Amino acid sequence: MATIMTPKKTPGRTELLQGTLDMLILRTLLFGPAHGHQIAKHIQRTTDDVLQVEHGSLYPALHRMERKGWIAAKWEMAKDRNREFKYYRLTPAGKKQLVREESRWKQLAAAVATVMRPVPGG
Amino acid sequence: MRFRNWLRALHTRVWRRRNRDGELEREFEAHLALEAEEQRESGLPLEEARYAARRAFGNTTLIQEDVREVWSIVWLERFARDVKYAARSLRKSPGFAGVAILTLALGIGANTAIFSAINALMLQPLPFSAADQLVRINSTINGVPITGFAYPGGPSLLDVRDFAANSHSFQEMVVYDTWRKNVSFGDSTTKPEQMQVGLVLSAYFEVLDIRPIMGRLFTEEENQEGKGYVALISEQLWRNRFGGDKAILGRKIVINAEPYTIIAVMPDVIPEWMEPGHVGATEVWTPFPSPDQLPESSRGARGFGALARIKPGVRLEQAQAELATIAAALAAAHPADQGVGVSLTTVADARVGTLRPMLFLLMGAVGLILLIACGNLANLLLARNSARQRELAVRAALGAGRAGLIRQLLAETLLLSLAGAAVGVGLARLGLASVARMHPEEFPQLGSVGIDWRVLTFTLSVSLITSLLFGLAPAFMGTRLNLVDALKQGGRYGTSGPGSQRFRNVLVATEMALSLMLLVGASLLVRSILRLQGQNLGIRQDHLLRGQIYLPPVRYPNPGTITRFCDEFSARIRALPGARDATVTTIYPPYNGWTQMLDIPGRPAIRIQDVPSAQFGVADYHFVRTLGIPLFRGKDFSESDGVNSPSVALISDEFQKRYFPTQDPIGRTIHIGPPQFLHIGPGEGVTDSADVTIIGVIGDFKNVGLALSPEPQITVLYSQHPLVNYGFKDIVIRTASDPRTLVPEVRDQLRQLDSDIPFSAVRTMDELVERQTGGQRFTTVLLILFAAAGLALAIVGIYGVISLLVAQRQQELAVRLALGASQANVLWLVLKQGLKMATTGAAIGLCGAFAAQKFTSGLLFGISPVDPLTFAGAPIFLLTVAAVACAIPGARVLRIDPARALRQD
Repeated sequence: MATIMTPKKTPGRTELLQGTLDMLILRTLLFGPAHGHQIAKHIQRTTDDVLQVEHGSLYPALHRMERKGWIAAKWEMAKDRNREFKYYRLTPAGKKQLVREESRWKQLAAAVATVMRPVPGG
Repeated sequence: MRFRNWLRALHTRVWRRRNRDGELEREFEAHLALEAEEQRESGLPLEEARYAARRAFGNTTLIQEDVREVWSIVWLERFARDVKYAARSLRKSPGFAGVAILTLALGIGANTAIFSAINALMLQPLPFSAADQLVRINSTINGVPITGFAYPGGPSLLDVRDFAANSHSFQEMVVYDTWRKNVSFGDSTTKPEQMQVGLVLSAYFEVLDIRPIMGRLFTEEENQEGKGYVALISEQLWRNRFGGDKAILGRKIVINAEPYTIIAVMPDVIPEWMEPGHVGATEVWTPFPSPDQLPESSRGARGFGALARIKPGVRLEQAQAELATIAAALAAAHPADQGVGVSLTTVADARVGTLRPMLFLLMGAVGLILLIACGNLANLLLARNSARQRELAVRAALGAGRAGLIRQLLAETLLLSLAGAAVGVGLARLGLASVARMHPEEFPQLGSVGIDWRVLTFTLSVSLITSLLFGLAPAFMGTRLNLVDALKQGGRYGTSGPGSQRFRNVLVATEMALSLMLLVGASLLVRSILRLQGQNLGIRQDHLLRGQIYLPPVRYPNPGTITRFCDEFSARIRALPGARDATVTTIYPPYNGWTQMLDIPGRPAIRIQDVPSAQFGVADYHFVRTLGIPLFRGKDFSESDGVNSPSVALISDEFQKRYFPTQDPIGRTIHIGPPQFLHIGPGEGVTDSADVTIIGVIGDFKNVGLALSPEPQITVLYSQHPLVNYGFKDIVIRTASDPRTLVPEVRDQLRQLDSDIPFSAVRTMDELVERQTGGQRFTTVLLILFAAAGLALAIVGIYGVISLLVAQRQQELAVRLALGASQANVLWLVLKQGLKMATTGAAIGLCGAFAAQKFTSGLLFGISPVDPLTFAGAPIFLLTVAAVACAIPGARVLRIDPARALRQD
């Protein structure tokens, strides 16, 4: 019996760890303002399509961070297209948050790496 | 700064929400457009590109809601919305909502009321400091509490004096008394009224740890002399009569025509139930003669109030044991104390008094009601939710999140529970108020019962848990339901699996069983009370009016003046056109309460247990005729039996059977009063001492209560017995029409004779009999109500299940009809289910009722707790009602038009 709420899982995609999406978005915005579509595409491209950003997660995350004051938003005309987009950029608070999350991530990665180090003789 | 930020945030969140919704849509559109453009660039046609973009984006509505939630004051908005939906959905099914709310209200209301009463009567702390040390001292004769006094079991003054002198377990021990006296307030315009006057020592208040609001307690001298002519008044009297006058001390009140100086105002702390006779709170206290001054001859005078405070650290049993030893010594030393023992009751136990067994019974009853209500609620919710499975599935298909669905069901359930609780509290308040109004005199304890909020919280939680359990369990099942299956399923009603149908059947059967137990209990009590009230009193009960008068000794100093007043009074009443006859007396059924020891020639007694005794009363020569008592032998009193003629007596049939089983009693002389060897002198208002000649034997009448068969009774003329001719008298009047209509005229006659004497405690004989059964009637009425409520709930339960069954099986039944089944066959198919539940329930209920007999047995009179008629009748009644409840929805089967039913859906 399929549950109606959980989205179907596609093999080959990796689910993002809780809280990691925020860090990725902040990191993406470090290069300059971007709109939702660009952020999603950027994350996908830089990870060679390993990380797929669900829009259902992306937009709530963007708005949550806007509310927390980590990012700010402004409607601007796109340089390459005749269309206005909502551009998000990093705020000073967001930069600090990014530093915090990066260091936490590194700790976590290091910890996981310690556990997963090659088995001697294996 | 922070505050401004917060304000800005609030502004952004609340006022710009509309804006944000629009903006969000724009953001999504921009995204989708860009995505579509990119798709087109990769070579897809326009339409397909758009479609692909949308598909890649996902459920916009859901994302929109998630984003909106980021910005909203989440819980508040969501809560308001859920409540709104819930209210709308409940409004759409008023039948379900109404029944569910009523179910909850009955369960919550009944439990809150009864447990509030139990809390007030058994659990709440007493208004005294260290109340667990306070005990009441009672005397027993041969192990049974002494009856027949204002304070049942009240000990003798000298016994308590000796207890106090010889014991070590108590800090203090006091005796006191209470009299109804004529009190007026010095001002000539106010008529005197009968009030409860306490006769106490200062130690009485010290034991209870009550201090005056102003003024002082009695001094040693005032108590020594017995008559200090000083009085303490209650706070209530002070406020009502003296307007809370600060300069009250030193003012006078008149008690029984003698002036007393007010020396203190006492706080209203002593509850009414502590007073004897339950005739209202004591409002005035005067000094009580200290028992040290009493002669040894008054040891046999019992019936006083006695309180003691046990020393800290001493257990009740220790104190009881110590007093028992002293009592045994007293019994050995004093003939008047032979066979007399002592028992201690904590004041807290005295508060519950005779209500205890009834409260336990009612507690059991409301417990059953709560169970039935919960069962019914579960049933209702299950039925509703299974009927809504399709709706839920549709909602889910349209993108509602599971959390959202559950939240909404939760909101509905909470809304129902709160509404039910509100109505229930209303019912409880109404119930408690009307009970207090119905029985102010029998149960003053009930007057102060208020809603106990802890109890309400408990019952509310129980019903909330039930509704959450059954309101949400289907919600979880419902949301996990396979969408496609639920949508594919035909009928308008989702079908429920055999499991949940069976569960509902079990619920209904349980409800039936519980309500049968209530039915059995209620009908046992009803039959018992009918028997009790149908008891033959031994008199003609109709058209009798009784009222009390008290002639104060100051104005009526000797028996002669009392006799003259009473004769004149009754003569005036007899002259009234509305009166057939009237007698001034101290006795009338169903309770006499004056036991008199006798000395009967030929029946010598050496021990106190062997001394003949009888119910004793004084009257005038109209007594037998007015009450309508048959004369069996000899002759009635007559006018010629005057003050100076030989003293005569009438004995009852039972008296003759007990004391003259073989002889003819007429013409025999007996001595009224204790035999010589007991050395009990006359006086102190307990005994007579006179020789009387028996002139007649009259029929027995109830003289020791309705439930017991009459004890031997001896009646004499008060005019011939000055020792017992007191100012306390009753007048009993046989009226031509409704006794109540004569009251103003009687008052009028009394005022003409002496305007200072109140006519009090006016009751018809029917009312007196009813008062005797007050406790049982009160329990019975409540139990009938509970049984009716339980039955109603169970019936709703079975009705609901059968209705649902008919609705769900409509198509199947239609097929059966189409294939040639007769309507009767199909109807029976449905009815069979209901009757199976009902009979199973009834069978279990009978076993339950049998097991619960110990709750009822103590309250029944003249009927067995397993009375076969009741045990057969109640289930028949239940099954009949259940059959009707099944037949009504079942009859819908007969209206099924097979062609239409099959075409549906």
